[in-house]
Amino acid sequence: MSLVPMLDVHAITKIVPTQEGDLEILRPISLLINAGESVAITGASGSGKSTLLGILAGLDTPTAGQVYLHGHCLTALDEEGRAQVRAGNVGFIFQSFQLLPGLTALENVMLPLELHGNKQAKTLAMNFLTHVGLESRMQHYPPQLSGGEQQRVAIARAFASQPKILFADEPTGNLDSHTGNKIIDLLFALNREQGTTLVLITHEERLAARCERRIELAAGAIVTSEGI
Amino acid sequence: MLAAKLLIRHWRSGELKLLSLSLILAVTVLSAIAIFTNRLHATLLIQSNAVLGADTVISGSHPRAAHWQIEAAEAGIKTTESVQFSSVVYAGDAMQLASIKAVAEGYPLRGTFELSDQPFALQAGDIQAVQGIPARGEVWVDSRLFTALQLTLGAKLAVGDAELRVAHLVIREPDGLNPLSAFGARVVMNALDLPQTQVLQPGSEVNYRWLLAHDDPQKLGAFVQHLKPQLDPHQKIITVDNAQERLGNTLETANKFLLLTAVIAVLLAGVAIAIAAKQFADRHANSVALMKSLGASAARVRLLYGVQLLLLGSTASGIGLACGSLIQAAVVSALQMAYQQPFVGASLQPFVLSFMSGILCLIGFALPALWFLPQVPPLKILRQSLMLSRPQLWVQGLCAALAVLGLVVVFSGDWRLAGVVTLALLLVLALALLAAFGLLKLCQRWLANAGGVWRLALASLHKKSNHSAMQILVFAIAMMLLLTMSILRNSLIDEWKLQIPKNAPNHYLINIPATDAPVLQQQLAQGLGQNSVLMPNVRGRLVTINNVEPSEATRAKENALQRELNLTWSTTLPASNTLVKGQWWTIWQRSAADVAGVSVEEGVAKNLGLQLGDTLRFSIGGLTLTAEIASVRQLNWQSMQLNYFFIFEPGVLDAYSPTYMSSIHLEASNKAFLYQVLREHPSILLLEFERILNSIQVIMDQVAQGVQLVLYLTLLGGALVLWAAVMSSLDTRKQEAGLLRALGAGRRLIQGSVLIEFALMGFLAGLVAILGAECLIFGLQKWVFKIPVQPHLVYWLIAPACGGLGVALLGYFGCRPILTTPPIIVLREAA
Repeated sequence: MSLVPMLDVHAITKIVPTQEGDLEILRPISLLINAGESVAITGASGSGKSTLLGILAGLDTPTAGQVYLHGHCLTALDEEGRAQVRAGNVGFIFQSFQLLPGLTALENVMLPLELHGNKQAKTLAMNFLTHVGLESRMQHYPPQLSGGEQQRVAIARAFASQPKILFADEPTGNLDSHTGNKIIDLLFALNREQGTTLVLITHEERLAARCERRIELAAGAIVTSEGI
Repeated sequence: MLAAKLLIRHWRSGELKLLSLSLILAVTVLSAIAIFTNRLHATLLIQSNAVLGADTVISGSHPRAAHWQIEAAEAGIKTTESVQFSSVVYAGDAMQLASIKAVAEGYPLRGTFELSDQPFALQAGDIQAVQGIPARGEVWVDSRLFTALQLTLGAKLAVGDAELRVAHLVIREPDGLNPLSAFGARVVMNALDLPQTQVLQPGSEVNYRWLLAHDDPQKLGAFVQHLKPQLDPHQKIITVDNAQERLGNTLETANKFLLLTAVIAVLLAGVAIAIAAKQFADRHANSVALMKSLGASAARVRLLYGVQLLLLGSTASGIGLACGSLIQAAVVSALQMAYQQPFVGASLQPFVLSFMSGILCLIGFALPALWFLPQVPPLKILRQSLMLSRPQLWVQGLCAALAVLGLVVVFSGDWRLAGVVTLALLLVLALALLAAFGLLKLCQRWLANAGGVWRLALASLHKKSNHSAMQILVFAIAMMLLLTMSILRNSLIDEWKLQIPKNAPNHYLINIPATDAPVLQQQLAQGLGQNSVLMPNVRGRLVTINNVEPSEATRAKENALQRELNLTWSTTLPASNTLVKGQWWTIWQRSAADVAGVSVEEGVAKNLGLQLGDTLRFSIGGLTLTAEIASVRQLNWQSMQLNYFFIFEPGVLDAYSPTYMSSIHLEASNKAFLYQVLREHPSILLLEFERILNSIQVIMDQVAQGVQLVLYLTLLGGALVLWAAVMSSLDTRKQEAGLLRALGAGRRLIQGSVLIEFALMGFLAGLVAILGAECLIFGLQKWVFKIPVQPHLVYWLIAPACGGLGVALLGYFGCRPILTTPPIIVLREAA
């Protein structure tokens, strides 16, 4: 295992200007996540979870502070530089699945591999879809799939490019509890198999409990940090 | 290649159908018109050149330089020659002044001789088109000479010292339209017999004509340019352009109209392209955010979408070009059958231009809507509500306007037309947008208290008032362009019909001796029931203006100074003339007793800077005549009447032995009568203009057919725009309808509100459309086509009514899937 922490965050803040004056979404936050860890970030709606996730993944920039992702200082890079870091290092799973409606399940899984120029994109994508139990749904378009199936495609897509760190934003938020449980099982099983670092945003207790560590946010600040 | 793979996937999912269909339509229309007009032009040129006998003629009073022939052969140019002169010919004791044309092997390079064994043959069966020239020792003569000398086929005709056998009668000949310098009846002979005649002596008045032709007009043009500096002052270049100005004008108007229709069709397709591109961009904002979150850089995204766009543009342009070629081929083949007129093939130029125009359409109409895509931040994937910085509407409008401007300039080379069209469209669009907002507001105020389905429909319009105004604008643009085109088409065709009046003269009698004039006038009045005006005619040159000889520069500028002119006198102002300056003879007073009055044509007066009271000296057959300018006249050159640059006071030319000229309208059934009369007056020359008039008519018909076809294609473009506009709101409507139905609203309620909403938009769009169309038509009629401007009141009723009905139906059918699908599926798809 690498000695470099997967995520090293130093006193990041996020302030956005509004008509009523500046709004502090994140107060100074520092945290360290090691490679292979699974960390749940929890909190009520509006506590700043998604903003934190965006900054940690390099999709957004903090107002102050530094973020190091696998040794790369994201805050010192421009968007092009951050894109380079994300490529091959980062994977995502979203609450609303974010599958491209014009592409089949197989093509959706192939897309990140193709973007990275992987010649085995099709074979790999088919393997992962089979792994998530969708071998018979590969040629279906997203609107033809149920919510659970769509999220399984999204999980296959996320793991297919074998990222070092996976960000999951409320992955069961749009699913019923039965389907949600199955998706959680699948997510953690794959995470164990691949040895991926997992950062999970959720407000569900049972999901947060499955992670090794838990960080709770309230009003943009860390209120508790538990676990090993 | 990932871009190609993505393009195929997007195509398969149906996302690109509207975009590619619109693009295919634009290229189809442009290529069909461009190839058709290119072929029509080339064909007309060949037909017109058949009248000239060549593509270009070098005419002069001396033979051409010998080395030109070698240079022409090296340049691959076909050549032949003719020598024309007047001479008295004999048959036994009878003699007649004849206009002799000695032709060399290969004559004519364009067109054919039409021969017969019957004098004055009229029936097609009696006339034969012949490629070739008279054999050595033979002549072909025209019907008047044949009857005047009482010849028979095989009889001997003496031309100078040569005795030649009469083999055939010439009914029509190429290069025969040089009537005013030709005296006497026509004899065609082989040029190899010319030395034997001994007619041509030093000092003889001879016209040497060197005929040139090449299938590539540019190569011929280059050769003629090379010759130009070597020509002496007695040699001139004759092309069909200066021979058939009227045809040229008509064709130019037709071309402008066809081009305008093409632009309108392209604009319609362009609007559909822009809507489709916006829809595509909306749907792909998330895809781009996702790709960027997965590590794709903005440059990578730009490249991916740029290549997709280029591939799509090339494929759609290729398909459009193929469709356009097929359509024009079908039209041409129908025309060939209908008019028995072979068409020449098209050059490469329209194919290349049409293909490139597809790419230009994409750049002008689609690119602005897609421009922001690479800049979509990856954070959008987490925050759907994130606002994206899209290009402003005016930037998109400007790009579209530049694309239209570019297309018009590329296809017409006419900056004025391009400018008028683009400016007018921009102005009308701005007005239409204001009108759309205004009408929407008024409508909401008037119908505020309505209930049931009306309230639902109005709420929908109100909630998305920006979007509704844009939709009304799009509907209005489509309707406005269609209205403009159909109204303009009708008024142009009416105007063309007026250009050639039904009873316009189609035959000209020239060289009528003064002694024959009264008898002929009486015969024509009895036989044709027409009161023919016989104009006196003498030929003379304008030699000085205010006692100063015109400079070389002035001579070069004005054709009237370079040749002998037909001069006449008249008591009354001729029918097709309008006095613009000075006074007619009834009022005008001479300033000096020995200086006659002359009335000058406006164009000549302008070119030579002539003013009232200036003195002009003419040389007529060695005598001089001095005259003072009494008036300036405007001529209607389209009238087909005999027109003169200079008309003198009555009787002034009597001392110069005038002959007379007349123009008459003759139905085909009266032709035999006219030939009968001419037998009695053998020295009169007959010019049959009906062929040229007929060819103008055929061109009109051909162009009208082309316009009709383009109208259908434009209608298709309009339908595409309307469909695209309905489809662009389908996603939102799906969500609303699903929600309403989930809440228990009946299908009828939703159906009714959709119908009313679209009907209202269509009605308002119809009003905006007719307003815009009237403005556009006004500009086009006044400044581009220069035809009378009229309002079109009936369309003020038709446009809103048809708009309301058409758009309501379109909206209903477009939204039907959301009415017939279960709400749960509708909601899930919308999500």
